[in-house]
Amino acid sequence: MSTAPHTASRPVPEAPAATVRTTGLHVRHRRTVALDSVDLDFGPGVHGLLGPNGAGKTSLIRVLATVAEPSGGRVEILGHDTRDHRRRGEVRRHLGYLPQDFGYYPGFTVREFVAYVAWLKEMPADRVPAAVERAVARVGLADRVDTKVRRLSGGMIRRVGIAQAVVNDPRVLLLDEPTAGLDPEQRVEFRELLRELGASSTVIVSTHLVEDVAAACTEVTLVDAGRVAYRGTPLALAALGESAGGPGDHPIERGYTAALRAHRAPEARAGRPSASEGAAR
Amino acid sequence: MTHGFLLYARARTVPRTVLVLVATAALAVLGARNLNAYLDPTRQVPVVALAPLFAAAVIGTSLHSASEELDRTAVRPWWRRRLVHLLALTGCAALLLAATVLGPSSPFGPSAMIRNTLGCTGLTAGAVAVLGTRLSWLPVFGYVSAVYVGSASARGTLVPVWAWPVQPAGQHVAWVTAVVLLVAGTALYVVRGARPEGRRD
Repeated sequence: MSTAPHTASRPVPEAPAATVRTTGLHVRHRRTVALDSVDLDFGPGVHGLLGPNGAGKTSLIRVLATVAEPSGGRVEILGHDTRDHRRRGEVRRHLGYLPQDFGYYPGFTVREFVAYVAWLKEMPADRVPAAVERAVARVGLADRVDTKVRRLSGGMIRRVGIAQAVVNDPRVLLLDEPTAGLDPEQRVEFRELLRELGASSTVIVSTHLVEDVAAACTEVTLVDAGRVAYRGTPLALAALGESAGGPGDHPIERGYTAALRAHRAPEARAGRPSASEGAAR
Repeated sequence: MTHGFLLYARARTVPRTVLVLVATAALAVLGARNLNAYLDPTRQVPVVALAPLFAAAVIGTSLHSASEELDRTAVRPWWRRRLVHLLALTGCAALLLAATVLGPSSPFGPSAMIRNTLGCTGLTAGAVAVLGTRLSWLPVFGYVSAVYVGSASARGTLVPVWAWPVQPAGQHVAWVTAVVLLVAGTALYVVRGARPEGRRD
């Protein structure tokens, strides 16, 4: 409900047709509400998903990845309603997903692990070997392709996770904290890859690192306590931080805290034009 | 396609599981060797009750998926793979164990061994769906142990129903219980899959 005004007044030119759309999305975990009537739409580009721990970022990504069932509302991906089991398979073919925690099979090499995921996505068998090579090269692990996954360092395992997510050239790519554990150089390379992927697909990245958002994202969605607190470009968020004077060391950080405060302030909920909206333009 | 299935089999440690099942059968052969069961067929009961129990525990833990979250994004529904996987291992265990007690016809011979393997695996498969793979051996272990200890002095018409693991092969009711357990446990596992473990919601 709070999302509509921001979306409507987005400064970027009218976005291409949305590839991912949620309407009135509700997600509960036992007693707690993880997402509360979330209306969002994402088109091609790189979308940053920011928010405090427990805000609902992972819940949103898991529902979009079709691994968790929403308790209410609608999710449409590439024009298919994901509640329909027959359509879901079609959606998954074009989906890439990096969970926060993906297990890997003991004994698998990088090549085998990525090929296994390609098989899960039902890629034609003759295209798999080349696709695996390409995905592994894209994350800079070409020289480790025949190393066992369990022998790799944490940052490299994270990159294997990214490789499996992009192996099928997904049209919708969902990454849950992809840069956790990467060193600065790897993060720079990863952002480069993000921009490249975002040119043709819809990439949704949840992250805590504002530099990633500033450098690679075309749009930011800020989630707080299961609701959308802010939507806009990274530039607009930074501008908000400058004008509202939120605490932080980076313009986006200041925008982040300012937008969160504006969202949490009682008058913002009551519908008064919030600081975020005014300053975002 | 074939390559994918090979990867799937390796992901679920099928080769290792089959090796452990072979080792279980070897252990059963050793256990049954000097029993002189021709004097008293019931001397074979420990082997016929415990070897399937062990095999079922091995099968149950092998249904573990190391990347449950990624597996959920599979394009194809899982039920067919689960069914083939479980039935293939169950069949493999039943044949291996039945071979260990081949010989002069005995009420605790191959037939009882197959029955117990089916029943124990069914119970374990159900436990995989309800408890997860890690603890899937627990119910079958507790149950068969309790039956083994408690059935000796039990009397009544219902004994063959619940004490199926220690019944002679001729006891048809025990077969019915074992098959019902197999069908129910398999159905539960095939439909629901292993209960997710170690993930915080």
